[in-house]
Amino acid sequence: MQVVVSGLPLGDVHARLAGGLTLIFGVMRVINLAHGEFLMLGAYASFFLFVLIGLNPILSLLISMPLMFGVGWIAQRLLISRVVRAPLLTSLLLTYGVSLALTGGAQATFTNDFRSVPFLSGALNIGELAFSVPRLVACVTALVLTGAAQFFLARTRWGKALRATAQSADVALACGIDIDRARMIAFGIATALAGAAGTLTRFLYTVYPEMGKTFMLKAFAVMVLGAMGSFPGAFLGAIVLGVIESTASYVTTAQIAEAVVYITLLAMLLLRPQGFFVLKEA
Amino acid sequence: MTTRTRRSILAGTPAALGLAGLILSACGGDAGESAAPAAPATGGAPKGAPVKIGASVSTTGSNGKTGQYQVEAYQLWAEQLNARGGLLGRQVEMVILDDQSDPTVGTKLYEKLINEDKVDLVLGPYSSGVTQAVSTVTEKYKYPMLSAGASASDIWKRNYKYVFGVYSVAESYFYGVIDLAKKNGLKTIAIITEDTAFAKATAAGTAEYARKEGFRIVFQEQYPTKVTDLSSLITKLKAAKPEVLVGGSYQPDSVLITRQAKELDLNVKMLAFSVGAAMPEFGEGLGKDADFIFGPSMWEPSLKTKGNSEFEASYKKKWNREPDYHSATGFAGGQILEAAVLKAKSLDREKIREALSTLEIETVLPGKYKVDDTGIQLSHIPVVIQWQGKDKPVIGPDAMATAKPKFPMPEWKSR
Repeated sequence: MQVVVSGLPLGDVHARLAGGLTLIFGVMRVINLAHGEFLMLGAYASFFLFVLIGLNPILSLLISMPLMFGVGWIAQRLLISRVVRAPLLTSLLLTYGVSLALTGGAQATFTNDFRSVPFLSGALNIGELAFSVPRLVACVTALVLTGAAQFFLARTRWGKALRATAQSADVALACGIDIDRARMIAFGIATALAGAAGTLTRFLYTVYPEMGKTFMLKAFAVMVLGAMGSFPGAFLGAIVLGVIESTASYVTTAQIAEAVVYITLLAMLLLRPQGFFVLKEA
Repeated sequence: MTTRTRRSILAGTPAALGLAGLILSACGGDAGESAAPAAPATGGAPKGAPVKIGASVSTTGSNGKTGQYQVEAYQLWAEQLNARGGLLGRQVEMVILDDQSDPTVGTKLYEKLINEDKVDLVLGPYSSGVTQAVSTVTEKYKYPMLSAGASASDIWKRNYKYVFGVYSVAESYFYGVIDLAKKNGLKTIAIITEDTAFAKATAAGTAEYARKEGFRIVFQEQYPTKVTDLSSLITKLKAAKPEVLVGGSYQPDSVLITRQAKELDLNVKMLAFSVGAAMPEFGEGLGKDADFIFGPSMWEPSLKTKGNSEFEASYKKKWNREPDYHSATGFAGGQILEAAVLKAKSLDREKIREALSTLEIETVLPGKYKVDDTGIQLSHIPVVIQWQGKDKPVIGPDAMATAKPKFPMPEWKSR
């Protein structure tokens, strides 16, 4: 039981990332390989806000998320918008280039030092079960953010515009939707979510320029496991993967658990490529 | 319309993901070259062309942070050497490249150093993985190499004649910690390690020594590099109830293990990490949770070794930061090479190889430089440090200790 409890929040970081990836993929058919680097930038933003002005990491979300939204907006406007309609390989190469540039830039600017600060440690004990405090806080914050993003997509005007663009850019354009702007908003939100994931990650892990890659592969797995373009799907996918990984790691070893995760992914692709959730067709 | 779109998403995805994986795994093409010439000549009349000494060290990639210390030490050594008049009356020019923490890139760069840059001598790269790969190149061209940043004993198990150890092999890192545990009457030990060359060697050596000293190994497991969660492993450790827990690990995983041990209330009497614990960033990342944790160190600034305080002062002056033990091993590598050239009285690489295999000198490192027939380092003495408040004093071996060990580690709940 402890193992399952530990596995639940583990999926959470991956859910944030996969949510953003899914959004970008849904709206633009672009797989963003630089997403992990946006996480890294978010983590650094929060780290420096803490070190320089002593800002509480959770409050720093208020600064780091709009900041990352801006970064995403600019990235979309200057770079990604040029490859939206190009073949998939073009956007893969472009975002991979962005990923390398950001990693290298971070190494030059922030140095390769491992950065971490003690914040929120220990566990909350309920009966025999120990809930990690930093993970719990990260998890709750993440749930709130996911809820907010889901609300935005489902209920607001721009959310609807985003979904319309995702379903068919041409029809959306014909209906008078500013699809370029919709795409910039989508990329901005996805980047802000990655930044938030980075900020929350910082409670748990060490910050360094190459941290993004650590999370990316699993985020892709989560994205496939959940449904493409579905926020709750990404969330469920992340949690299922987290529990599978932590259980496999308990029963066997951490190395085998790593393999089990990707075997699950393969099995999923073969047996149920549409993910856990089948989206209702409009 | 919608149906078609969705199907095309799904059809595209597996292929795209595969491609993404390919691209990710193919990273590390050609190395960025950052040739860093040594400081200009000061004093001493250079005779003829400068002596070129080549090395490639990871200054980017996963080991970039640690490798940087080694590069700084190489450059400091060359600068001081030139100020003393150079090698055999000739100035020294360092050619330092970056292998991006990639063994394959490392081998290419040593080929380049030897064939294109035509260096006279080489110094070793950082990390056991890169050194092991690179030593096949230096062996092929018969270039003697001091392994100033690597210590997995596999490097010396191939009957190579041209690679020499500077500091203790990875296998012996925890000997001091185990001695201390034995002295305090502890009987059971658990060993968890990352699955990389260095960490696995540390684990194997620790297990063997612990068994010899009468310990029972109650748990032993490896975890993948770049792990982000070890709660299952910690849960299993709790069930195994070890008195001593050692981790063959770097900074991020050492911090992760400590944090999760606290969360899941895993209590041991002694906790030690290999590379991670000796780094200043370990204490910064954990604050007071770092207290009581042990770690081996190849060098500490407080040691009274030959020329140590001068080394520390000049390093701080030149690079504006405290040297790490990786700085000291790099600097010692230079000191040993210098002594070997003086002994050989020439730049003839066969004579230098000869000199390196019989040389016995003191460096800034504790103990001595003296290798056996295989080139393995036997006379260096690693020390044990313990985090106590903001400091990490040397607590063993007794002759070099600057503080008493605090023992045992209290339970997390009572801290």
